[in-house]
Amino acid sequence: MSTESNKKRKPKVIRSDGAPPEGKRNRSEIDLEMKYYSEEAEVDIRDPNKDYDLYRFTCHELQRLMAEIQELKSRGSRDSASEIEERRIQSCVHFMTLKKLNRLAHIRLKKGRDQTHEAKQKVDAYHLQLQNLLYEVMHLQKEITKCLEFKSKHEEIELVSMEEFYREAPPEISKCEITMGDPHQQTLARLDWELEQRKRLAEKYKECLASKEKILKEIEVKKEYLSSLQPRLSSIMQASLPVQEYLFMPFDQAHKQYETARHLPPPLYVLFVQASAYGQACDKKLSVAIEGNVEEAKALYKPPEDSQDDESDSDAEEEQTTKRRRPTLGVQLDDKRKEMLKRHPLSVMLDLRCKDDSMLHLTFYYLMNLNIMTVKARVSTATEIVTPVSAGYVDLLSPDMILSCLYPGDHGKKTPNPANQYQFDKVGILTLSDYVLELGHPYLWVQKLGGLHFPKEQPQHTVTADNSLSASHMETTMKLLRTRLQARLALTKQFASLEHGIVPVSSECQRLFPAKIVSRLVKWVAIAYEDYMELPYTRDIVEAGLAEDTHLYYLALIERGTAKLQAAVVLNPGYSSIPPIFRLCLNWKGEKTSSNDDNIRAMESEVSVCYRELYGPRPGYQLLTNQLQRLCVVLDVYLETESHDTSVEGPKEFPQEKMCLRLVRGPSRMKPFKYNHPQGFFSHR
Amino acid sequence: MEVQRALERLHMTIFSQSVSPCGKFLAAGNNYGQIAIFSLSAALSSEAKEESKKPLVTFVAHDGPVYSLVSTDRHLLSAGDGEVKAWLWGEIIKKGCKEVWSRHPPYRSSLEVPEINALLLNPKENSLLLAGGDCQLHTMDLETGSFTLRGHTDYIHCLALRERSPEVLSGGEDGTVRLWDLRTGEEVQTIEVYRHEECARPQNGKWIGCLATDSDWMVCGGGPALTLWHLRSATPTTVFPLRAPQKHVTFYQDLVLTAAGNSCRVDVFTNLGYRAFSLSF
Repeated sequence: MSTESNKKRKPKVIRSDGAPPEGKRNRSEIDLEMKYYSEEAEVDIRDPNKDYDLYRFTCHELQRLMAEIQELKSRGSRDSASEIEERRIQSCVHFMTLKKLNRLAHIRLKKGRDQTHEAKQKVDAYHLQLQNLLYEVMHLQKEITKCLEFKSKHEEIELVSMEEFYREAPPEISKCEITMGDPHQQTLARLDWELEQRKRLAEKYKECLASKEKILKEIEVKKEYLSSLQPRLSSIMQASLPVQEYLFMPFDQAHKQYETARHLPPPLYVLFVQASAYGQACDKKLSVAIEGNVEEAKALYKPPEDSQDDESDSDAEEEQTTKRRRPTLGVQLDDKRKEMLKRHPLSVMLDLRCKDDSMLHLTFYYLMNLNIMTVKARVSTATEIVTPVSAGYVDLLSPDMILSCLYPGDHGKKTPNPANQYQFDKVGILTLSDYVLELGHPYLWVQKLGGLHFPKEQPQHTVTADNSLSASHMETTMKLLRTRLQARLALTKQFASLEHGIVPVSSECQRLFPAKIVSRLVKWVAIAYEDYMELPYTRDIVEAGLAEDTHLYYLALIERGTAKLQAAVVLNPGYSSIPPIFRLCLNWKGEKTSSNDDNIRAMESEVSVCYRELYGPRPGYQLLTNQLQRLCVVLDVYLETESHDTSVEGPKEFPQEKMCLRLVRGPSRMKPFKYNHPQGFFSHR
Repeated sequence: MEVQRALERLHMTIFSQSVSPCGKFLAAGNNYGQIAIFSLSAALSSEAKEESKKPLVTFVAHDGPVYSLVSTDRHLLSAGDGEVKAWLWGEIIKKGCKEVWSRHPPYRSSLEVPEINALLLNPKENSLLLAGGDCQLHTMDLETGSFTLRGHTDYIHCLALRERSPEVLSGGEDGTVRLWDLRTGEEVQTIEVYRHEECARPQNGKWIGCLATDSDWMVCGGGPALTLWHLRSATPTTVFPLRAPQKHVTFYQDLVLTAAGNSCRVDVFTNLGYRAFSLSF
């Protein structure tokens, strides 16, 4: 190995200029210049493993030589110099070998690297190609999918179905032969047909529009014509007014009424409608009218729920004005109260005429904020009423009294709407009764006639007017009103007579009483409720709840000789269907009342309990006078049938003139108070 | 109508009452001829409410007032204007109850039907004694039959039965107390109460309103003062100090209970005449 290297050692090839050109030059010149030494070529020939072994051997030799030199040098003999020199030369040779080997190693490395690099480049080029192709594939795929998904606009058009198409399309379009086979052609044909149809329809549409315009114009013209007719018609109506009056057909008046009625608040409207209906259907003597200021009503027209807003608005205004004027708190409160109690400007007037031409005029108002109705009443008669003149006389026909308790317990002093109490608390109104003189009475039947129903104990937010409620109460109420008026008129006449001590008994009632009555009515006065309650002998009536502050109280005095009979009378406002009740106190030989004398009790019973016989002719307004007459009769019987007290001297004060079968009867020893007609005797019940 | 009803109640007088044989019911008769049946057991029980004090049933029994009521062991006998009706206690609380029988004692005059003021049951002979407005005493066998006893000059208020001897006492408007023998039907004795000065009160009249007897003793009162009489000797022994004419009197053991009818008190006296106490409504 070392000899070969000694032979072939030539000038070293500088490696750094890049192997391939050198290698190429060397290969190309290999044939020409055998002298030039190529180590690159040598690398290809030599085996790397052998080179490695050579390297190791050389290293080992060097080590040996060095060791020998060392040894020789340490011996320090003179002839060792040539040996040392020899060894030195050998070492140099070994060094040269090592250097060559190093060079070879480097060259091998470089070659290896170059090869790797080349290969790598190739691979990279392939890789790049691959990427390009893949990219193209992807692109193409995308395009394909795009093409596949393409929806042509023509698919959005709803085409008529196949059968229809073949039926309706004209042959030049449908071209059956071609289209049957070819779906593409078929679709085209269908599209064509579609286009045709649409064109035709568009034409039609244009025509229709044109005709519509024309018709609209015609309508306009006709409308104008009609509106020009309206003033002509009203002028005709005006002209016909005199004719209406002449023929007693006040259509116009009724029409006007209905016009104003439109502005009435709902409860008044219900009342108006129902009352008119009732009047037309059942009661010719009832007339209905609307009074008041229509303009104000129009200005006011809002649904009832806004009444709260009204109040708050007016309150806001109030505050503003108070800032400017600074009135007192009282005035402010007063205004608030006035606002709360405000009436609707329109009112409904009902006139009830009775047989004797007396009339009851009722005016119904609606209090907007309180949602209740009130009524004011007035009586007018054909002839003048003779009013009694005694002190303390309560005018039964006064507007305040005449409608009191039309239905039992309906005194009209309290507001029927429970929600009002909260409203009153806000403005400091204690009770509505302070204002009834001015506003009218809020009776329950008035609310019912207006269709307002307030359920007890549950203030509802809004109570609306109900027609059926009004209708169901109308007839009864009208009848009651008539009866009330007649009864009061009858009573007033009777009182006027009673004041003079005359008990007016009509001829039909004469049969209820004997011909001769000696006891006389001496006094008849009205007394107050408190005075009645003070009387000792009326306690049981008060306790039984038959005497209330809405009733009327009278005191009658009947006398005969030394006997004086005091009668306290309770007159229920519902006279005469509810009878007057009598309580007696007899002053004759001591004071006798029902608590200590059973016969007095029997007399009270005779007059108060057995009243049905005393009604007289219908409708029974003579009950009171008949009762008074009967009272005189029973007093006579009592006094005359009193058993004579034998211990006292002298004759009886009242000789018996009445014919009686028996004077005493039963365990309570009753006197005979019952009068029998026509025999004329007295018997027991 | 409410007012009518209230008026009727104000002017109502209850004249008679009777307890049922079982003791659970009370029948009361008033001046309108109505009989009301109350349930005593309900009204007196611890859970009594207002409704328990109202009658179970009320019906019109007679045309006139029901002055007298008496109970046998099965029937309620009521007396009104001239007739006696019997009602079955077992049926009476059902609505629409009808009388079992109705009898009229024979009357003299027909112009006015006399009332029956007192009914007395004679259990020994199973007969009913009636007395009233026609001034006569009638005995009616509870099955059939009747015979009359005459004697009073004015109508009879009350009857009392003397147990030991079969005698009946009657007191009347004419101021006499008469004793009648039930077997013979004859008047045995007459006591003219008003003639005795101790008890006579002419200002009230002479009528005898109430009567009670203990076989040996008798108490009567009315117009005259309430007096205790010894029957054998027919003399008054004690006059009770009550001003008002008495309407009802009974013996109870050794005491005399009496009620005036126009006051709220029932006075209780001992035999010796002093007032022991008063029961008050």
